[in-house]
Amino acid sequence: MSVAGQPVPDSALIERIMAQDENALSAVYDRYSGMVFSVLVRILKDSQAAEEVLQDLFLQLWREAQRFDSSRGSLPAWLMVIARNRAISRLRGRNRRALVETSEDLPTGYAPWLDNVEQEAARAEMVGKVKAAMREMPREQRQVVELAYFEGMTQTEIAAHTGTPLGTVKTRMRTAIQSLRQLFDDGTARQSGRS
Amino acid sequence: MGPHVNPEDPDLYALGALDEEERAAFEAHLRSCAQCADQAAAAQRRIALVGLAAEPVAVPSRVKEELMRRVRAEHRPQPEAASRGRSWRWLVPVLATSTMIFAALAAWQWTQNRDQAQQISTLRGQLADAQSRSLDIARASEDVDLVAGAPGTIHVALAPQPGTQVRSGAILYDPQSGTVAYFAHMPPAPSDKSYQLWLVPAAGAPISLGVFSGNEPMTALTARLNPGVAAKAFAVTVEPKGGRPQPTGVKILVGAVKT
Repeated sequence: MSVAGQPVPDSALIERIMAQDENALSAVYDRYSGMVFSVLVRILKDSQAAEEVLQDLFLQLWREAQRFDSSRGSLPAWLMVIARNRAISRLRGRNRRALVETSEDLPTGYAPWLDNVEQEAARAEMVGKVKAAMREMPREQRQVVELAYFEGMTQTEIAAHTGTPLGTVKTRMRTAIQSLRQLFDDGTARQSGRS
Repeated sequence: MGPHVNPEDPDLYALGALDEEERAAFEAHLRSCAQCADQAAAAQRRIALVGLAAEPVAVPSRVKEELMRRVRAEHRPQPEAASRGRSWRWLVPVLATSTMIFAALAAWQWTQNRDQAQQISTLRGQLADAQSRSLDIARASEDVDLVAGAPGTIHVALAPQPGTQVRSGAILYDPQSGTVAYFAHMPPAPSDKSYQLWLVPAAGAPISLGVFSGNEPMTALTARLNPGVAAKAFAVTVEPKGGRPQPTGVKILVGAVKT
């Protein structure tokens, strides 16, 4: 799937998927199924359910690849957003309208760390940086972010779950978000600065 | 347009951490503020990174094997239209398929076949495929109910362009939820072409809503977008088979949103 050691760009694979090339879907699956599956297992805490969501997600990519526009966002970000939203929706019994289900077209934005990660080494480096960034956060801030992201809890639910005043939860959450913005939106600069 | 939201609200929204009232207020603001809608979309991409902190878990090889089996099953000659978007026309074949599969499973219980394992695998795969399509139908039904009952739903009549054989089409669009339902009578697309439905936003490039072939007497499909996308128009184009990320072909149906 590569020429002279360079991986085939995601955009080219998407074009081939749209032309019903099974090998292209296989390549995309090999590239990103691991990171997506890890998130699904963490959210659903059920490997069987995670497998079902993963398979349905890539089947949707096969059926509706034209809905992904590589000029408007990166493929791994698209996959991660939809996977997380479906998992939260499933976790919460679909009673709550999940953000994910309405966000399958992603405009161009920030989060440069999820661009240009077709190479396995680049993906591994990116995962390492995200983990390090999360570790840098104070425990209380990391907790509220993780409860929201992986458990699908609102701030009020987090307050009830942790026995923390709602005002404190909101303060921790907003501080954590400011940190995430600084860390993630500076991703390009940090990457280039270290290379 | 009201005052802009708190700086952290787009990320809180992407996290799903806003409470119901906060969420409703935020979405109401998004409907009238393209700037904040862009920030909300950017926050989604940023928040997606949090998931990378999950401990890595290896995917069992059987998942890919089953996925590719389902893909190959969809690669049959006829399903180009059925594989795009969510369509009512799946109902009849899905029910028929499900009935056949269940009948086959029942019959299988009374027979002993030396290829039992392979048959079970095949039947399970077909059943999973039928169930998947049934879920798509259920989602389409849910979408139509939602868009038909939403107070802010707009109706757009799509007019045929000169020189085309298409009669007409109609769009129901609820900007608040981002739900779209499309209905039209379409002649079959040429074998090497597909029809593609587009939303033309007030700002930015057209957004693909789905691809279809027009092989059925009535085309109906649904799609969901980001909430709050302001639509300027809807259109149907003729594209190379499978569709394209952006419109390249001739427009056959066009309808402007009345303001």
